[in-house]
Amino acid sequence: MIGKIRFLLAETGQNIWRNLALTLASIIVVGASLSLFGSSRLVADAVDNATQRWEGGIEFVVFMKADAEPSQDEAIQTLLAESEGKEIDSWEYVDKAQTFEEFTEFFADDAELLATISVDTMPPSYRIRPTDTDAGAVAALGQTFESRPGVRTVVFASEVIREIQTNADKISRSTLWAGVALILAAVIMILTTLSIAIASRRNEIEIMKLVGASNWFIRIPFMIEGLVQGVIGALIALPGLAFVRTYLIEDFSKSDNLRLLEGFRVTDSEFLVISLTVIAIGTAVATIGSIFAVSRYLDV
Amino acid sequence: MIRLENVSKEYSPDSPALINANVDIEKGEFVFLVGQSGSGKSTFIRLLNREEKPTEGKVYVAGKDIVGLSSWKVPFLRRNIGCIFQDYRLLPKRTVSENVAFALEVIGRPRHVIEQQVPAILDLVGLSEKSHRMPDELSGGEQQRVSIARAFVNRPLILLADEPTGNLDPSTAVGIMRLLDRINRTGTTVVMATHDRGIVDTMRRRVIELADGKIIRDQKGGEYR
Repeated sequence: MIGKIRFLLAETGQNIWRNLALTLASIIVVGASLSLFGSSRLVADAVDNATQRWEGGIEFVVFMKADAEPSQDEAIQTLLAESEGKEIDSWEYVDKAQTFEEFTEFFADDAELLATISVDTMPPSYRIRPTDTDAGAVAALGQTFESRPGVRTVVFASEVIREIQTNADKISRSTLWAGVALILAAVIMILTTLSIAIASRRNEIEIMKLVGASNWFIRIPFMIEGLVQGVIGALIALPGLAFVRTYLIEDFSKSDNLRLLEGFRVTDSEFLVISLTVIAIGTAVATIGSIFAVSRYLDV
Repeated sequence: MIRLENVSKEYSPDSPALINANVDIEKGEFVFLVGQSGSGKSTFIRLLNREEKPTEGKVYVAGKDIVGLSSWKVPFLRRNIGCIFQDYRLLPKRTVSENVAFALEVIGRPRHVIEQQVPAILDLVGLSEKSHRMPDELSGGEQQRVSIARAFVNRPLILLADEPTGNLDPSTAVGIMRLLDRINRTGTTVVMATHDRGIVDTMRRRVIELADGKIIRDQKGGEYR
């Protein structure tokens, strides 16, 4: 068994060595396509995180003080209930526990920060959808809450957020399609590389067939070769994704002009999921390309 | 050992390669296939190791019908059949011993078996001294000996030879035939397609003559004619 494995690995190594330029080209195409695909997912996640509280037409959020009296909270709720159907279309109350939950989920990777907070220190808030979404009308309505007792601050959805929200979908969808197109190119590239490897080894393959090598014994080195291309391609995409996360997304969120985008970031767990997805797609791409190549070009 | 029953092979309807062939070859026989180019000799050989399937009829090897053999079983059939060719078909980037070992490696034989059998077979074909040479450093006769070593290293029941002396001068060809004769004496059935009148007339073994895809003569101890 060990001898068989050693022979198959040696054959694979020889295949790759003989076909090195094309193998490298395949790896680069796989890496580039998965970098693009993964980046589109990173940006989509970051946008989701930044705009989560602004989804569904919410125009401003009234944050209460963490130590606001229950009566102060009730007064706000009464006011909102009275305005519902008039200036206010609808509203949602996010209590301390819910805020704490969102906060801990979002900052799951920042243990230091989480250690300093508790449910009691979280400000409850009201997420409000006004009837009139004109910027002036929204600002006037929001300001009426600012001076109420117990209110800490009122935060408005800025033009920037609205624009990002509108365009985010378009951006992530188009990069996703570009990624998918490149992934298809990667499948074709692996297929072509393997077909050339098969053609260049036709003498060995013919002899292997004549002396009774099993069909799988002939196919496996080519399939491993395809898999190597897919997996290495996926692995070289990961530093690219880390770069996008650190230098584009996180630096962008620190920009002074975009204070409202403080939540524009990707958590460790989201990054892990995207990285694993990229590796899985790389493996799948390689498997599809390899299976297609050996069944199409390897006549055993 | 080998039986062809009413076997016909057509590559295209107007040019049949083999027509209604009926042949029985016993274990340990040495059979020459003779006939002009295009008479059907190579097709005959290719039918025996399932490189081709007949259009009609049945082919039995070691008692088994190989026509209906599923494709995953074909490699196991071929482990019992050694093949040698006019053009040797050696791997140019492997040494003599690596070429021979290749035949055992690809069927998953363990390393210690390979290390034992390869030197033994190279000794049998008289190439022990040249085991580390590359094929292009050998003469035609030596390359054919390597090819025979590769075909026989797994001790097959049958050895198929398609014009094995076609590229060799007469004295080298005699050496190759002595080797094939020696292998035949171990009980291996040998089927050899040839144009070499001298060899057939000297060895006086069974001769099957083909013309336009038909068997026109099947004679024990025959001559080339």
